[in-house]
Amino acid sequence: MTPELINNTNMISTKGISKIVNTTQGELQILQPISFDVKAGESVAIVGASGSGKSTLLSLLAGLDEVSDGEIYLDNQGMHSMDEEQRAQLRGAKVGFIFQSFMLVQSLTAIENIMLPAEIAGHSDAKQRALDILHKVGLEHRADHYPNQLSGGEQQRVAIARAFISEPKILFADEPTGNLDAVNSEKIEKLLFELNQNSNTTLVLVTHDQELADKCERQLHMQAGVLTEITTESEQLEQAVNAG
Amino acid sequence: MTNHTFSLAWRLFRHETKRGELTIILLAIILSVASVLSLSLFSERLQQALSDKSAEFIAADRVLDADKPVDLGWIEQAKQMKLNTAHQVYARSMVFANEQMDLVDLRAADSGYPLKGKVKISQQPFSPGEITETLPATGEAWIESQLFQTLSVSIGDKIEVGDAEFTVTQVLSEVPDAGFNVFGGDPKVLIPKADLAATNIEGPGSRVGYSYFFTGEKDDLDDYYTWLKPQLDREIHDWDSVEDENTRIGRSVGRAGQYFLLASLLAIVLAAVSIAVAAQRYSQRHYDPVAIMKTLGAPKAMVQKIYLLQILFITALGITIGAVLGFVIQQLVVTAIADKVDVSIDVWHWRPLLIAIFTGTVCAVLFSLYPLLKLFSVSPLRVLRRDLGANLSSRLIQFLASGGAIFLLMWAYSQNLKVSAILFSSGIALVVGLLFVTYGLIWLGRKMGQGRMGAWQLAWARIHRRAMDNSVQLISFAVTIMLLLVVLVMRNDMVQQWQDQLPEGTPNYFMVNISQAQQPELEQHFLQNGVEVKKFYPIVRGRFAAINDEKVRTAVSKEDPEKQNQGRNGLGREANLTWSNELQNGSKVIDGKWFGDNPLPEEDPSPFQVSVEQGLAERIDIKMGDTLTFNIGSEIVHTQVTSIRDVHWQSMQPNFFFVIEPRALQNFTPTYISSFNLPTQRKADVTQLMQPFANVTLIDVDARINQLRNIVDQVSMAVEFILILVLAAGSLVLIAQVQASMDERQQELAILRTLGAKGNLIRASVVFEFVIIGVVAGIMAALANELTLYMLQTQIFQMQASLHWQYWAVAPIAGAIVVGILGALGCWRLLSLNTSHLLRQMV
Repeated sequence: MTPELINNTNMISTKGISKIVNTTQGELQILQPISFDVKAGESVAIVGASGSGKSTLLSLLAGLDEVSDGEIYLDNQGMHSMDEEQRAQLRGAKVGFIFQSFMLVQSLTAIENIMLPAEIAGHSDAKQRALDILHKVGLEHRADHYPNQLSGGEQQRVAIARAFISEPKILFADEPTGNLDAVNSEKIEKLLFELNQNSNTTLVLVTHDQELADKCERQLHMQAGVLTEITTESEQLEQAVNAG
Repeated sequence: MTNHTFSLAWRLFRHETKRGELTIILLAIILSVASVLSLSLFSERLQQALSDKSAEFIAADRVLDADKPVDLGWIEQAKQMKLNTAHQVYARSMVFANEQMDLVDLRAADSGYPLKGKVKISQQPFSPGEITETLPATGEAWIESQLFQTLSVSIGDKIEVGDAEFTVTQVLSEVPDAGFNVFGGDPKVLIPKADLAATNIEGPGSRVGYSYFFTGEKDDLDDYYTWLKPQLDREIHDWDSVEDENTRIGRSVGRAGQYFLLASLLAIVLAAVSIAVAAQRYSQRHYDPVAIMKTLGAPKAMVQKIYLLQILFITALGITIGAVLGFVIQQLVVTAIADKVDVSIDVWHWRPLLIAIFTGTVCAVLFSLYPLLKLFSVSPLRVLRRDLGANLSSRLIQFLASGGAIFLLMWAYSQNLKVSAILFSSGIALVVGLLFVTYGLIWLGRKMGQGRMGAWQLAWARIHRRAMDNSVQLISFAVTIMLLLVVLVMRNDMVQQWQDQLPEGTPNYFMVNISQAQQPELEQHFLQNGVEVKKFYPIVRGRFAAINDEKVRTAVSKEDPEKQNQGRNGLGREANLTWSNELQNGSKVIDGKWFGDNPLPEEDPSPFQVSVEQGLAERIDIKMGDTLTFNIGSEIVHTQVTSIRDVHWQSMQPNFFFVIEPRALQNFTPTYISSFNLPTQRKADVTQLMQPFANVTLIDVDARINQLRNIVDQVSMAVEFILILVLAAGSLVLIAQVQASMDERQQELAILRTLGAKGNLIRASVVFEFVIIGVVAGIMAALANELTLYMLQTQIFQMQASLHWQYWAVAPIAGAIVVGILGALGCWRLLSLNTSHLLRQMV
């Protein structure tokens, strides 16, 4: 099936997407119909309590899971009508990921983990790209170390390097500092936003951490599967300027 | 395929090998290849040696026996087909010397004889023979010891055979193809074949046979037989090989062969089980990398290629190491036992290597199939939801793939559908039985796992919680224990039955022509010399005259006159007749009733009863109720056939074609035959023992017995080593299984540790868990063992089936001890790691 295309400046566009799962007690709607857009280059935090549905929303936005209903467009391509293979292709081309538990391949070294997306995409300069970005995250001396030989902060830096290697248009981060101490959290946040700005990547992150959420331009608040948008200070300012 | 996919697969393989991630699956493949290669290479070498050794009993690899000379073109063809040939003419003929005569088994051999085995000669009758590479020269005859007695000749004397005269130059101690029937054979006389014509004993009506001996490569022999077969006339020609079931040696070699086959099959199954366990674990460990790759955009085909390549790399490495290891193991075993067992060390057989490679590949591929399919189905969503496993839920593929693989391997390897089907079906029965037991255990676990958390409760609770994993584990333990039991018990039963055939003290000398008056004197004399004389059997010589009043030479049946006549004419009409109400050892009545069960009084007017040997009855068409007529001395005795006996001709006991009711023969004056056992080292005493009884003829079968015993010892010894190899393979499988399951327990141990559980509690609970599993597996294995053995013994090995109660106790106890110890060792390894290390390994 040919993916559906629309033409606007939104990096993400959702129209009434919902998620229903089957449980032993019958169907359970874990996401009420949600509609919102994320502009290219924007940074958005999805916040909410545990079990509110924020990770589910992230999995749908990133194309890791299928929507039960509604439409979802990533860089103008309709993911809701794609199969897993097409979504994988789209992810490979346009999406980067950072996870709370780092999700590095334990049997590959730091440099090899970073090379992985570039290799999957078939880039012949994967190694050079990896070395460059490893330098940017300050881990060139740890290139040949395995994940279990690195500290948590280092592992997450490797994960960030891996996320940026294929120059994604959009980056999804799931609790990127959730497993780190305060000092490391700060370093990672700094690195993440720096790289994000430099490469003009759209950032969608899920977090409990209000401080981290506050650094994003927009916040989407999830509560029991329902989305409410919290307008950030800058937006309030912008709205005030427009009104004025 | 892109270079990236290949290099990624290679890199993953390299790192994982280095980090020990692949150890278990690699070990399983190495084990399968090594055990299959070492077992089959060893058994093939041994078989070859045994077959060579056994070939000595027919003096060649193949023998063509004929009633008349064959077309010389046949022999030429054999030579062209790279076979070695030799020729011997044999006849029963009278030999004269010093106005005495005796019926002998005359053999006229050409220079190639014997192609296998050796002729032994000596200068003194009844003294140990020495190997000779020569044959009698023109005008010379070598004769067996008892002929020196019966003809009163010495070395250098002349004897007459037909129209020719020969000088006796050696005592013929042994020829390889002497046969095992003590009384079927007359004393042998060996002369050069070139001298046969001068005797004029060949000719119309003479009872002369022609043996053509062949040796060569098995393929060449088979090719030759294929060429020859259409030209053979079943009535005239008989193609023999030592593997033919009709000889004791053939049976022993055949059984040993079946046993090696069985052992190797079981080794394959053991290896397959360990690969299945390891592949499952391998797949689970790779759920995360697959989810990550998929998340990062890897298409399914790429993931599939990466992991298929990995399996290929692992298989190739496993096969290489396994082949080297297997070769080294069997070479070590062969070297270690070289002085005890003849094995053709220098022979390299390609078949075992190919089988080992095939086994390794099929096991690795088919047993990884289901785990790999599961792996491929892992959702990328697992990166966010760690609890997500594989999406594949149907186990049908798994059962079909693993069951199919095992059956395919068994069949391909054994080329014996029956053996494969028996082992496979008992395996299935065991698995089904175990599933029931497992669910019983789950139920029991629910009951016993309740209450305060002691080590036992923890063990039962864990069994309950990990029901599915435990059922797989239980099944693999039980299958392993069962297979080991089968190999062990088969070996014990088989060796026992072999040894029972030739127990210590089996008579190695027979005496004939003992008069009634000599009996007590002879017994006394022997006793004084420390030799016990066995039972005396009365004998009268009779001439078998008629069946149902038709003379034997002219008896013709309507259906197949030629065949009947041929058979009846071929029978020596002189027969040793005995009478007894007692059935001889090793004989079995297969039709009718043994007259000894209800002896009739002397004056009973009913016809005298006779029992006939089965083979003879078939050959000359004697049926129950037929009247057989014998001329004994000047009298004619009519008898009626009331039973047909199966006689164990190779039992080294006196055996008879005809056994007649005592009331028929008791008025004749018999001579007696008896036997005794004299250790080979006392051989020199024979002359002294026999000196007072000049009329008694001695038949020396010591060499025969030793030949037989030698081969039984060799086969037994070989079987022992095969057993050790299979035991080693089985133990390694158990270790691999425990190791794999320890991995799965790591998480739980880490949590218990973190929560402050004492090492002793954890250790005890793990040991108890394994002990429980070991006991149950042992009980199930004992049950399945009986079932399998019954079918194997009755259907394949043609042995008497037997129950093995002792293993009902041995199996559960051994299961508990071995599995418990392995569990404890595995547990100790984990507990020696600190908690944070354990937790970190879990991520």
